[in-house]
Order: sequence, then structure tokens, then C-alpha cells
Amino acid sequence: MTNWYEIPGNENDVVVSSRVRLARNLADYPFEPRLTPEQAKEICEKLKTIYSDGWTYTDFSTLSPAEKRSYGEKHLVSPAFAGKKTPCALFARNSVYIMALEEDHLRIQSIYPGLALDEAWHDAAEADRLLDENANVAYTEKLGYLTHCPTNLGTGMRASVMLFLPAYTAARGIQSLAAQLSKIGLTIRGMYGEGSSAEGCLYQISNQITLGITEEETIRKLETVVKQIVEKERQLRERQDKEALADRASRTLGILLYARRMDSAELLGLYTTLRMGASMKLLEGVTVTMADRMLVESMPGTLTVAEGLEDDSAARDKTRADVIRRILKEQK
Amino acid sequence: MLCERCGKKEATFYYKENVNGTVKTYHLCGDCAAEMQKSGEIQTGFGEDPIAKMMNILSGDDFFGGDDLFGKLIGSPQKTAERGKSCPLCGGTFHDFVKTGKAGCPRCYETFEAELLPSIQRIHGRTAHNGQAPARFREENEKKQKIAGLETELKEAIRTENYEKAAEIRDTLRNLRNA
Repeated sequence: MTNWYEIPGNENDVVVSSRVRLARNLADYPFEPRLTPEQAKEICEKLKTIYSDGWTYTDFSTLSPAEKRSYGEKHLVSPAFAGKKTPCALFARNSVYIMALEEDHLRIQSIYPGLALDEAWHDAAEADRLLDENANVAYTEKLGYLTHCPTNLGTGMRASVMLFLPAYTAARGIQSLAAQLSKIGLTIRGMYGEGSSAEGCLYQISNQITLGITEEETIRKLETVVKQIVEKERQLRERQDKEALADRASRTLGILLYARRMDSAELLGLYTTLRMGASMKLLEGVTVTMADRMLVESMPGTLTVAEGLEDDSAARDKTRADVIRRILKEQK
Repeated sequence: MLCERCGKKEATFYYKENVNGTVKTYHLCGDCAAEMQKSGEIQTGFGEDPIAKMMNILSGDDFFGGDDLFGKLIGSPQKTAERGKSCPLCGGTFHDFVKTGKAGCPRCYETFEAELLPSIQRIHGRTAHNGQAPARFREENEKKQKIAGLETELKEAIRTENYEKAAEIRDTLRNLRNA
């Protein structure tokens, strides 16, 4: 199965990925903290029969910590799920990953590269239909889908888009953007305000409200706002000194190609410059997708799993430099 | 406890640092913690892998499950809990709901609906779902809408003394209701 970050998506100079998550529960079982081990097993067995045709099943609790972490790093599962120690299962097919026994009985997630909210919603809804046809889903006409946490009642849906906003960030526009978004029921998350010097310029925008607003409305609103941000980011980039940018991006590429050791903090800074250069077509042979692959595949868990390292291996920085070089040379 | 910097909001953030034996601790609210991080007075996440940390924040559970926000919104359990009532499916009480900010099982929403609605309204701004429904509810909904439409037509037929049509509609309604 090809990972989402290996495929070039729409508007990928600014939009990294689009994701839709649905929280669903079975009506006749308590939520996760009150589930007995027998009930948890029953739910998993039931889901195995529902998600059998073409779905891959993984007993998530048997994976190594690095393997779990890698799923989280690729945004295929939530960080909470990646850190789970109690029994849980993962069902996967194409763009859809279903986390069983996360906070809710099911979290159905679909993730796509670039701007593709409709596709993500379509795929998640299809997996949801399978559940609806074969199980008694917790739902009331008044409150909609019933979820462990009341903040997800209604559609139980979070739609989100990950954005790469270096020009917005440099123009110090993120704080005011955050204030505007919160007024219209959207949330922005990112490293801003974290006091970090190595900003990746990556942000995630998602809907805050799930009750009383339809899935379609939520997606249309998010998409409209994202398109405006994309335009603004492009305008801000156009105003930059291209020659200076090309110089910085080329030097960055030089470091990435010739470094023998690379730690995570340094990579994050270099990634921003490289992705910016690639998205403005200032670097011959380097694509945005290569930059994203480089970032994801050099994260600790993914690196450990793919390169067969020991957990917390000291050799990681060296291996990271090797992996980066391999990715950047592959398509040159 | 209240934030020791602004003295206004609830402290949700605990920070401790040890620099060459000098220990500093702070109990802060989210806003003050963010401000102090920005100004560099405190540093969090030190030693963590910075890319992994960023990805965690991003991919993060945008489902707001992490804190007991909902519990706080409902207020103090002593004041609001209706003693004695417990959920028939999971045995949880309203006190449990308030304490954790989360439901024990799907049935809890029905059991404690009256107590919960004001807080749900505060979070979402509304209290009625509008969106997709499981098939069994969709069929039921369509039927209800059809019946409501026919009832209006029936009234109109009687008003205009079109009794033949009224009888027809009455039969259709009867069949629909019995289905």
C-alpha cells in the first residue's frame, strides 16, 4: 500500500494533507474505560467480521513501541492510539484506517495528500456505512452519534487540513489568523506560541463544532477557508526575493545531500527551506513530495522500523542522513 | 488552584525546572504558560525529538478528549448531581460524568439528558443534531416527513371539500402508519 505522503496531491505547494475522522460507538457496550476485557474482545471480533473484505487487520497491541510510533508519525493513527498499551486493533484499506478501541469504540480515519477533503469524507463515510449495515451504532435523533466525550456529539466528525505556511509565519500572520478562525468555529494547531526556534511552518486547521452542523457544511466551510489561506500564502511568497530564496534553498540542499549526521532539530529547519524552494520550483529535480517523504521517513519510530535499528539507537543521526540522501538522489 | 501568574484562571499547567540545583516551580493557566514559553521564561519539551513533538501537536487529537473541559462546564458535582440515579447500562452516575467530563456509555446521554443539555449547548452553541444518520433512522425520518406532508394535504382537501381526494389520502396515511 502506497503511503499518502509518497503521492503528489492537489495544491501541495501549500496543502500537505487532508483528513476526515469519524467517532463511532456500538450502542450496547460501555465506553472504553468501563469495558471488560471480554467486551473489548467481543467488539474486536465483531469488527473483524465487518471489516474483512479487502481490509487488513493488525492486532495493534502486539506491535513494538517503534512500530506503533511510526503509525503515529505518518498520521495514520492518533498519538493517543500510538501510545496505547491496552488491547486495540487497526483495520486498514486504501486511504482508510480504523482505530478500534481508541477513546471511542471506532475512530474511522481517511487521509489524502494535498487538498482532498471530499475524497477523504467519501472514503470515511463508506467505511461508516459498512458499520451501520452490520452493527447497532450509538445514535439518537437529537444528539446524533453518541461519543465518549460530549465535545464530539452530533456528526462525530473532525475534518482537518495540514498546511505549510512559511510566508504567513514569516509575516507574523498566524496569531491573527487563529483569532479569525476561532470566530467561525475552526481551530488552528501548530508550533506557534511554543517558543521553538526550529519552526516547521506546518499547521493544522480543523472544525471545532460537531453538533447542529452537517458534514457537508463542515467540509465546505473548511475548504473555503483553506482556499483563501492558500491564495494569501502564495501572494506572500510572490513578494519574496526569489534569488535570495533560491540561494538559501540550494545551500540547504547541499547540506542535506552531503551531511553524514543529521539530528531532528536541524532537519526541521532545513525541511522548511527545502520545501519552500521545491514548492516555488527553485530547485531542479527536488519535489515537494520528496521533501515531505524526507521528513516523515526520518522520524524516530519510522527510521527505527525501516532501517532495523534498536529502539533509541545512537546510530539514528547517521542513518537519518543516509535516508535523506537516498530520497533526494532517487528522483534526481 | 488558580494560576499564580495572573491569579484569575484555573492552573492547568505545572512546570518545574532545575538549573544547577536551583529549583523553580510554577502553577499556570494555559494562556500564561504559552506567554512564558514565548518569552523564553520557561521551556517545555526540552530533550524531546522536535519533529516528533511537532507532529504530535499537529496530528494531535483534534478530538478534544484530553482534558475534563466538559466536567468543568457542568460545574461542581455536589451542586448538580441528582443523587441515586444511575445509568441502566453501565451503572455510572451523573457524578461520574462530571468528574471525568465523559460519558460512561452511550445510554448515559439518555439517562442524564436533562442535566447535560445546558452544557452541550454551551460547547456547541446548539443542542440538535443535523447531519447523517444510520439507515434505520433515515427510513423512520422519511416516513415521518411523508406522513406530515400527507396530513397537510388531507386538511387542505377537507377545507376545499374535495372528499374523494380526502378519502384517498386517509387510506394512504393508514397504510403508511401501519407499515
